[in-house]
Amino acid sequence: MLSLKYGVIADADTEVIIELRLPRILLATAVGAGLSVAGAVLQALFSNPLSEPYTLGISSGAAVGAVFGTTLGLEWVVAGLAGTAFCGALVFTLLLYLVSIRPGITAVTFLLAGVMLSFFGSSLVALWMALSDSNGIQGAMQWLLGDLSRARLSGAWFLFSGVFILSFILLSRWRELDALLIGEEAAITMGVPVPTVRRRLILLVSLLVGLCVSAAGMIGFVGLVVPHAVRRFVGSLHLRLLPLAGLWGAVAVTAADFVSRMFTQPYELPVGVVTALLGAPVFLWIILSRQKVA
Amino acid sequence: MDNIEPTESCIIKPALGVYGISYTYGDRPVLSDVTFELERGEIMALLGPNGSGKSTLMKVIAGILQLGADGCTGQVKYLGNDFLSMPFWIRARKLTYVAPDFRAEFPLTAEEAVMLGRTCYGFGHGGSFFRAVTNEDREAVHEAMDKCLCLGLKDRDLHTLSGGERQLVNLARAIAQGVKVLFLDEALSRMDLNHQAVIGKLLRVLASQGWAVMLVSHDVNLASEWADTGLLLNKGLCVVAKGKVKEVLSERNISLLYPGAGLTIGVNPSTGAPKVFFGKSEKDRHTD
Repeated sequence: MLSLKYGVIADADTEVIIELRLPRILLATAVGAGLSVAGAVLQALFSNPLSEPYTLGISSGAAVGAVFGTTLGLEWVVAGLAGTAFCGALVFTLLLYLVSIRPGITAVTFLLAGVMLSFFGSSLVALWMALSDSNGIQGAMQWLLGDLSRARLSGAWFLFSGVFILSFILLSRWRELDALLIGEEAAITMGVPVPTVRRRLILLVSLLVGLCVSAAGMIGFVGLVVPHAVRRFVGSLHLRLLPLAGLWGAVAVTAADFVSRMFTQPYELPVGVVTALLGAPVFLWIILSRQKVA
Repeated sequence: MDNIEPTESCIIKPALGVYGISYTYGDRPVLSDVTFELERGEIMALLGPNGSGKSTLMKVIAGILQLGADGCTGQVKYLGNDFLSMPFWIRARKLTYVAPDFRAEFPLTAEEAVMLGRTCYGFGHGGSFFRAVTNEDREAVHEAMDKCLCLGLKDRDLHTLSGGERQLVNLARAIAQGVKVLFLDEALSRMDLNHQAVIGKLLRVLASQGWAVMLVSHDVNLASEWADTGLLLNKGLCVVAKGKVKEVLSERNISLLYPGAGLTIGVNPSTGAPKVFFGKSEKDRHTD
């Protein structure tokens, strides 16, 4: 009787680990690695230390998708919240892509277009929320602040492999990314077909971000802070930077998730709140200490 | 400086042939029908006032600014072949453009920056994306940095270098790239006199090895010291003059380009290169 009881408990433990903990850890590592790699690539691509998935408005598109999906009840039609969010991210990516293929567009104008798109998306979300029943969008609200609690094993594996494959493709472009470190004009004179490369990288990064954001919501600062922190230790060359940024991004989000579950028990803090709370001071430290060197 | 014997292929084809380049920014035409040829072993000074389109011309030839839009036409030939239709990585092995400033937004050591010049050898048939840095790359980088007097800076971050030091590093990057045509756009303007003298000699050596160099400088006297030939551009969009630097830098041409400056042409007593001075010449003062 006793052994049977223990057996049940052990089974329950296994079940907790496999059904709840494992997907959650997979999701956290994949999202952390994906956002961090995306941030590192975007920063090189636009020679701008402030670029990250959020500046470009891709995640904002995902937010619009999620909120619209929830309020319109579409989330059962398009594979849950993640599905509508991914559609939103894709629509905004398509808009960005249309901007990027205009002749004569520079990195700065493109970045500004992204920032505008991001504001536009947030305004749409705010408008929609103001107009709709506040109870109905509770789920979307929670998602907006970063939410790993929806993790399911199959989805987590899908995300994990998607992030891995996309990151690997991005890593294979290390030579082009390195050349972009000293600017687009210099990169052209060193043999990089910048317009084509930019379009290709934007598409890859958008897919990566769309995947991450639709699965876990808005987890800010990882794409900004982690690449900057890693660069301080290993330099900016991407063959070293991207794998390490991915690794530390995974560690950062997993740790943030741990904090969000442990410190306010029995409630859960949205993981996006934790990354922002911890990320902002770290980022400030990075830029201030870099100023000293320069 | 006519002591460089032209090689055979040089007699057949110029290193770079630039034919009928016109370029327009929006509605504002900047270049109109610029044509010239740059021989192997030739150092050409591209001179003209601000806004005369010197940098634009270099960037168009280097493929940074694209032709094809309205008002942007012309042809560039490298040894007789259409240069701008070549793949980027092949172009980068033939010609490179050295910008006035060299910066990175992110931490990058001088040696890493020079190594970026080897990027074009990682593309195409000669290399793959995961090809590691080869010994050949390392040697080229070491040699280029040595020639450009920046070997001692190799572990320093670009952020911590002075403007002149960054220009040395950028020049080393271009030389490590192993091109045959080198465009220098105010690329030496922040160097001190020591560095300018060494780099001037280096350009001479490169030219004797068959490199063609085109340089833009607001320092007319520096340009006249190094260059064999000159090409003067004016805001009137046309080429004012081209030819031997001594002939091109005439008082008539100079007063056409810089009408408000009141300039006189003299000669450097030790090298014989033409020199531009502020103020009227003694002869003019007498006639006044």
